[in-house]
Amino acid sequence: MPMKITKFAFASLTILFLVAPLIAILPLAFTSSVILTYPIPSWSLRWFEELFFADAWRRAIVNSLIIGTGTTLLATVLGTAAALGLRNRLIFFRGTIRTLFLLPMVVPAVVLGVGMQVLLAGFGLTNSYAGVIIAHTVVAVPFVVVSVTGALAGIDERVELAAQSLGASPTTVFRRVTLPLAMPGVASGAVLAFATSLDEVVLTLFVAGPNQRTLARQMFSSIRENISPAIAAAAFLFIAATIIIALVVVLSRSMLAKRR
Amino acid sequence: MPEFIRFDRITKFYGPLCVVENLDLGIVKGEFVSLLGPSGSGKTTLLMMLAGFEQPTSGNILLEGTAINAVPTHKRDMGVVFQSYALFPHMSVGENVAFPLQMRGVGKAEIEKRVARALDMVQLSALAERRPSQLSGGQQQRVALSRALVFEPRVVLMDEPLGALDKQLREQMQLDIRDLHRRLGLTIVFVTHDQSEALTMSDRVAVFNKGKIEQIGTPRQVYDEPATRFVAEFIGETNLVEGVVEAVEGAEANVRLTSGAQIVSAVSGTVAPGQTVYLSIRPERVDLTEIRGDARNCLETEVTDSVYQGDHLRVQLQNAAYPLIAKLGRRSREFPPGTKVYAAFSAGDCRVIAP
Amino acid sequence: MIAGPSRTVRSLILLAPLLVFLIGFFIWPLFSMMSQSVSDTAVLRLLPRSAVVLPVWDRKSPPTVSMQTALMEDLKAVDDDQALGDMVRRLNSARSGFRTLISKTTSALGNTANPPADLVSIDKRWEKPEFWLAIADALSPLTDRNLLAAVDLGRNAAGDIEHLPADQSVNRVILVRTFWIAALVTFFCACIGFPYAMIAASLDGWKRDLMLAAVLLPLWTSLLVRTAAWFILLQEQGLINDLLRWIGVIDAPLPLIFNRTGVIIAMTHVLLPFMVLPIYSVLITIPKNLMPAAASLGAHPLRAFLRVLLPLSLRGVASGSLLVFISAIGYYITPALIGGPGDQMISSIIAFYATGSANWGMAGALGVVLLVATLLLYSVYARLSAEEPGRR
Repeated sequence: MPMKITKFAFASLTILFLVAPLIAILPLAFTSSVILTYPIPSWSLRWFEELFFADAWRRAIVNSLIIGTGTTLLATVLGTAAALGLRNRLIFFRGTIRTLFLLPMVVPAVVLGVGMQVLLAGFGLTNSYAGVIIAHTVVAVPFVVVSVTGALAGIDERVELAAQSLGASPTTVFRRVTLPLAMPGVASGAVLAFATSLDEVVLTLFVAGPNQRTLARQMFSSIRENISPAIAAAAFLFIAATIIIALVVVLSRSMLAKRR
Repeated sequence: MPEFIRFDRITKFYGPLCVVENLDLGIVKGEFVSLLGPSGSGKTTLLMMLAGFEQPTSGNILLEGTAINAVPTHKRDMGVVFQSYALFPHMSVGENVAFPLQMRGVGKAEIEKRVARALDMVQLSALAERRPSQLSGGQQQRVALSRALVFEPRVVLMDEPLGALDKQLREQMQLDIRDLHRRLGLTIVFVTHDQSEALTMSDRVAVFNKGKIEQIGTPRQVYDEPATRFVAEFIGETNLVEGVVEAVEGAEANVRLTSGAQIVSAVSGTVAPGQTVYLSIRPERVDLTEIRGDARNCLETEVTDSVYQGDHLRVQLQNAAYPLIAKLGRRSREFPPGTKVYAAFSAGDCRVIAP
Repeated sequence: MIAGPSRTVRSLILLAPLLVFLIGFFIWPLFSMMSQSVSDTAVLRLLPRSAVVLPVWDRKSPPTVSMQTALMEDLKAVDDDQALGDMVRRLNSARSGFRTLISKTTSALGNTANPPADLVSIDKRWEKPEFWLAIADALSPLTDRNLLAAVDLGRNAAGDIEHLPADQSVNRVILVRTFWIAALVTFFCACIGFPYAMIAASLDGWKRDLMLAAVLLPLWTSLLVRTAAWFILLQEQGLINDLLRWIGVIDAPLPLIFNRTGVIIAMTHVLLPFMVLPIYSVLITIPKNLMPAAASLGAHPLRAFLRVLLPLSLRGVASGSLLVFISAIGYYITPALIGGPGDQMISSIIAFYATGSANWGMAGALGVVLLVATLLLYSVYARLSAEEPGRR
């Protein structure tokens, strides 16, 4: 019995450790005070106003949306095509290519950032949206590859053979069978790519100019230089978005599972 | 009858591995042919080549006299049924069955009519709106069947279609498919490793071993007149006894067993006196008597074990040189171990096989 | 199953865009960073004529006329002040005195009314071979000084490798600190993560889902949000200090932020999911009846745990630890925001060299050290996770 109580206490405390910080920051988004401490004197939406109407924050949000959308499009197209290509077992160096595709997840962001800045400076792409989108795509694309590869691995190859035997040409098989079945994987890959871009700070520090300051970058310097409850308001939006994204991913996965 | 499908000296290599070797096979229109053999014997590969999923390394596949090697799968007009059913998980049952008709540009109203008819044929009309994942295995297999038949293909290919079903359902489906074959006059090529399934359903059975056809014939031929030791052992159960041919007279041969006993046996193929051969004796053709009767072949044996198996009595016997098995009808009397009996069988129930 | 060249061609066409993209924007940047760390063209770029003449010099005797003329021509041709500054910095780091020497020389050369006859007439120091020696050595386009300096080594006048003096030995301290912090974080993650994963794997239904959701929610939440949350919790007027004071454990607020404690707490929180998930995924593959089986064979629960469950789950602990350690050594954001000056890790130093002082050579060299460490650890991790489950 004491074993059971110990286990329960340990599990509860760890859950508290994991989740409490995320919950603690939420009410501060609605404080009327200028400092980020409890107790909250009175409730107000002023920090959300700040977030959406103060120039620096508003531009950061817009930049994040532009760069996030660009990254999502580029990473999803490149990653989905590559995952489809990787299906072929006859490709030489298949394992090496797959490792290369996943490696950007492993390489420390600062290292990649240094190299990226040197390289993009050579192309004249620093301080440009294109440069930031390219940098974000490098770190976002592994998520798309993993997600789409997973969805494709779940497709019974004989389903595609059956479609052929029933009279569908290879392009029709792809359009009517392969793509619809891979779609949940493509969608969750796209969501993960967007989330990666939204949260990316380090590469942005290296390659973005003042005009490409993203929300994450703005939060970083805000914490570093003059922390204000606008951070909490931004965090509130992030956590809300996370929960929505998580629901989308979970739902699309369960849709995928249901079809089997 | 003219040949409808012809495999003309087909060979298939996977890298260094030869899975089909110089194989010839002809199939006539309306015929139900089973390709029977253990896994890895090349039967599925042959079917995959006929469907166009694989290309033969050498040789031609002819359909009504024209080579179809270069015709891609989607233009071959063959309905394929897979063991895993291979239904489109993202389409309803009705959409699955409509798919081949859409591919052929059939009009909407016509599609509706034909889908309804095809589902009706397999008694699934009520489930047209369901997703495949909501159906049982047997229902999914019937959808796959109606999807493969709805566009009236020239040939229907089935790759172990009943392998995933339980025994009772499998036997029901065997009869259903046989019935469809007769009613619609389909040409069916059916791959299976289940010998009783092949015997039940087929007009002809081709027995595969190591990339070659060992024997092709009606179910009765391959069972009663096995041409090779492999066929005798793979189809049903048999007693194989070694002996030396003493004389050949027409379709019968005299064989001396190692125990010295003389056996008269039917012969298929050619054997010469002095040759070492096997005799195949089906256990259910062996009679046991306590006194030497007037049967042409009679071996002195002793019962070592007997097991009651419901529909028959299985008796293990030991002759001077080799064990034998006899299956007796359920009305037979018991034979306790140690009983001395004679195992008797006619010359026609025994077959000489060249090794 | 559909074999044939057309399918392979199609697959290659599908793979090509990402392959080209990653070679161009992932592999190439890493290589250009590495080449930065060994490239040394600040001097060579500006002194092409000297580069022709100096190699034939015997490195001992006073400078010849042709050497002086070449250097004068080179210096006259310089029109890029920033490049000149780079060169001076590079030469000055090899031998002090170059800063004044070069500025005196260039201003004398700029005096077109009264052109100097040779360099020695501008400054006597140009007679000494040491200064020419420094230029001659700096003309080589490749150098190992950055890579050596990254681990606090350097070459003395004779060219032998030796330790840098203590006042210049900062990098080794930071490397040791990086690995130490990463090791501590890995240790705490294992201490919390292993029992947590075991409890989660032993439960089922909503309890298990809750425990997993508690791990996944932080994992999916923005890293900045989590860091901001810890910033708020750990600050002097933060919830943790408030709570402790309210309970009466402490009188004055504990210093929790801008120090090692804060960094370790925040990094443990951020990386804990990477420990829990691999261990959990190994544990759920272990049949549940193994512990009862061990008990039925007479093993005490503790013994059964040590002999059965622990060995089977070690693979998960190992891959979780590697994952946490690999992530931790490359961390930048959390130490930058929660840590003090004494808690900065190697990434912060790289970022400082790159963006703060534009010393790309040192940034690249430290980057190479971090990259090599990461890839080595990752290859161990990849081998570990490629093994068949159930094998040890």
